[in-house]
Amino acid sequence: MISLGAYLGISFILFICGIMVMIARKNIIAILLGIELILNASALNFAAYTKFVNGNLEGHIMALFIIITAAAESAVGLGIVIRFFQLRESIHIDDASTLQN
Amino acid sequence: MDYTISTVAPIVLLPFFAFVINVFLAKRVPLAAVAISTLAIFGSFICAFRIFLDFQNVYAVGYHIHKVFTWFDLSAGEHLFKVNMGIYIDNMTAVMLLMVTAVATLIHVFSTWYMHDDERFARFFVYMSLFTSAMLGLVLSDNLLSMFIFWELMGFCSYSLIGFYYEKEGAGNASMKAFMTTRVGDVFFLLGILICWMIVGSTTFVDIYAAIGAGKFAGSFNVFGIALPIATVAAFSVFMGTMGKSAQFPIHVWLPDAMFGPTPCSALIHAATMVAAGVYLSLRMFPLMEAGHLLTFIAYIGAITAFGAATIALIQTDIKAVLAYSTISQLGYMVIGIGVGSYNASFMHLITHAVFKACLFLSAGSVIHSIHCQEMPQMGGLRKKLPYTFFAMLLCCFAIAGVPFFSGFVSKDRILGDALVLALENPSYWGVAILGFGGALLTAFYMFRMLFLTFFGEPRDHHIYDHAHEEHIGWNSNVPLLILSVFTLGLFYSGSFTGQGEINLFGSKNEWFSTLIHKPEASHLEHFAHYEHEDFGATDTRDKVELPKAQYDENHGMDEHHAHWVHQIHHLGAILSILIAFSGIFMAYLMYIKKSVNPGWWAETFAGWRRALQNKYYFDDLYINKIIQKGLLPFNDMLAKFDSQYYDKYVVDGTAVLNRWAFNVARWFDNNIIDSGMVDGTGASVRAVNLILRTIQSGKIQLYFIVLIVVLGSYILTLRF
Repeated sequence: MISLGAYLGISFILFICGIMVMIARKNIIAILLGIELILNASALNFAAYTKFVNGNLEGHIMALFIIITAAAESAVGLGIVIRFFQLRESIHIDDASTLQN
Repeated sequence: MDYTISTVAPIVLLPFFAFVINVFLAKRVPLAAVAISTLAIFGSFICAFRIFLDFQNVYAVGYHIHKVFTWFDLSAGEHLFKVNMGIYIDNMTAVMLLMVTAVATLIHVFSTWYMHDDERFARFFVYMSLFTSAMLGLVLSDNLLSMFIFWELMGFCSYSLIGFYYEKEGAGNASMKAFMTTRVGDVFFLLGILICWMIVGSTTFVDIYAAIGAGKFAGSFNVFGIALPIATVAAFSVFMGTMGKSAQFPIHVWLPDAMFGPTPCSALIHAATMVAAGVYLSLRMFPLMEAGHLLTFIAYIGAITAFGAATIALIQTDIKAVLAYSTISQLGYMVIGIGVGSYNASFMHLITHAVFKACLFLSAGSVIHSIHCQEMPQMGGLRKKLPYTFFAMLLCCFAIAGVPFFSGFVSKDRILGDALVLALENPSYWGVAILGFGGALLTAFYMFRMLFLTFFGEPRDHHIYDHAHEEHIGWNSNVPLLILSVFTLGLFYSGSFTGQGEINLFGSKNEWFSTLIHKPEASHLEHFAHYEHEDFGATDTRDKVELPKAQYDENHGMDEHHAHWVHQIHHLGAILSILIAFSGIFMAYLMYIKKSVNPGWWAETFAGWRRALQNKYYFDDLYINKIIQKGLLPFNDMLAKFDSQYYDKYVVDGTAVLNRWAFNVARWFDNNIIDSGMVDGTGASVRAVNLILRTIQSGKIQLYFIVLIVVLGSYILTLRF
């Protein structure tokens, strides 16, 4: 039986990895990937808690929601990146530091 | 009779509306304007006559109508400030209304003839309508304030009508003189009103009477340590108004100059009504005069005026000037009447004088109109050319001279009789009695001198005589004179021929004047506090009470013995008056008809006296050359100099300099402190803070994220530990 602490540990590692990716990487797509990692960490947390604490399906449903949200978010994010690339010919995050042009 | 808006208000409003309409109509349709004015005043006459008849029917002393409405009310809590206007009709008002409207109607009718070839024919009627309306308003007023308003309105009309022939040299100055001289009195009158308002809290006559009765006027003003009794100050101030309006010594100088106006206006304004309004005011305020112990002063002012003006009239050659001085003199008699406390005789003289003096002025107007000349030395023998005018003037001269059976005898004799009674009781009044009787002698003399010079003897200027128009009877030329001259008979006023009650006519209604008109006795003033008044409205809300008919009191409220004595003195006075009147007439007869006494001898023997008379006792000289030229003008120059050299230079310019300096300081402050320091400083400080803060907002999303993580992390850690 895998303990709750293991789940939370994995989730924590995933979350920290996501944070590190978001802070360190300059590639926008990589940052989106980091966001995915953070979302997955939280989804894992929901699933773990609902198994060990609650026992009903609410956490699972929440995890499903998170997956869907993540999919939608990455789709929108990729769209923005494509448009940004068309505009700047770059996907470097520091090129997106101005509010206009 | 109901006393409502529709029966009382037209008396004042008809002439006023005529005035308003005629202001617009006078230029375009002159004849319509004349007709409207005349009909309007006739309408007033009818209303006034109804009121008079009602008062004669009731025939009670205390009968009065007092209707009030609130003009404005500024009361706030405890502080009462409510100004009432209203009408007060008692026997005196009713008689006065009848006199004013009747005389005014006849004078309007006369004016349609006298003024018809004047280029400003209609404008004359505009002023006359306004004047009549104001005079009637004054008579109806129940309080001093509205009286003062109408008083000033009359002053304005008088001013306009004196200056009516403004192209004539001196007319403008005369009108200004009249206006400014009466102003001296009016300022005091206003002061008197303010004192009454201060003491009583109302200017209504009834309230003032009640306040006097309650002793509210008993205190004194403290002016620079001198205690002035309030009653005396108030009475003197109000009486100064009378002196100004009624041309009493020493501010009588305007009335002779007022003769620059058209003759009918002199008849109405400067003989019959406006100058009598001053006396009417003093009669209304009689309890105040009494409370202020001012009666002796009033009597002496009247006596000096009556005698002094009569002496000046002796040597006047202008027919209107004689009448002007005789008006001043007769007003002096009315004032004597107030001063010696013969209330109803004074009022009676006001009425009788209004009638015969209006008639005299109209007769003079008729003479002037027919020969186009006012100088008596150029007249003479006009009796044949102007028979009707002569008849009217003869009756009026009898009346004013005090010939028995005529109105002037009835009223003037009562005043003189009362003066004599008072002089016997109180020796300080001897001067009044002597001046009064002396003035009566002079009056008889100068009036008949005027009559003889105008109508008797041989024509002195044949050119003028031959060109004089023959007089024919005409409804608007001499019928008004004849009507007025009929009313110079004494029986209309006293009910008895002599005014002494000997030969009675009208049965029980004999002596209606002294029966109905009673002075407000000092001991009865308290009951005025209970005089009821009603709202002025469309319906009459009075309770109909039957009042007991007034009875003629043989003893006039005195005990049998005293009354007998007073009657005897009155008889003595009457005999003296008759002797004096006839000797005056006889002197005039000897001098100007029989020519057995040479007027030239008198003129040479009393040359100095004559010079003083010719210069009107140097009053004009005193006022114009001494007071105005020597006193007021230098004072004026001094003030002007002070104004331009000190006030302008230092205060006004100094203020400007100070202002500019202050403005410079303010500008420096504004530029440097406010603008540069505070306004710009705000911007600069915002910009400086911005320089620091903008480094945070770099646009680098990862930096934001780090901040977010750090903040969240530190938050969570803070919670945790």
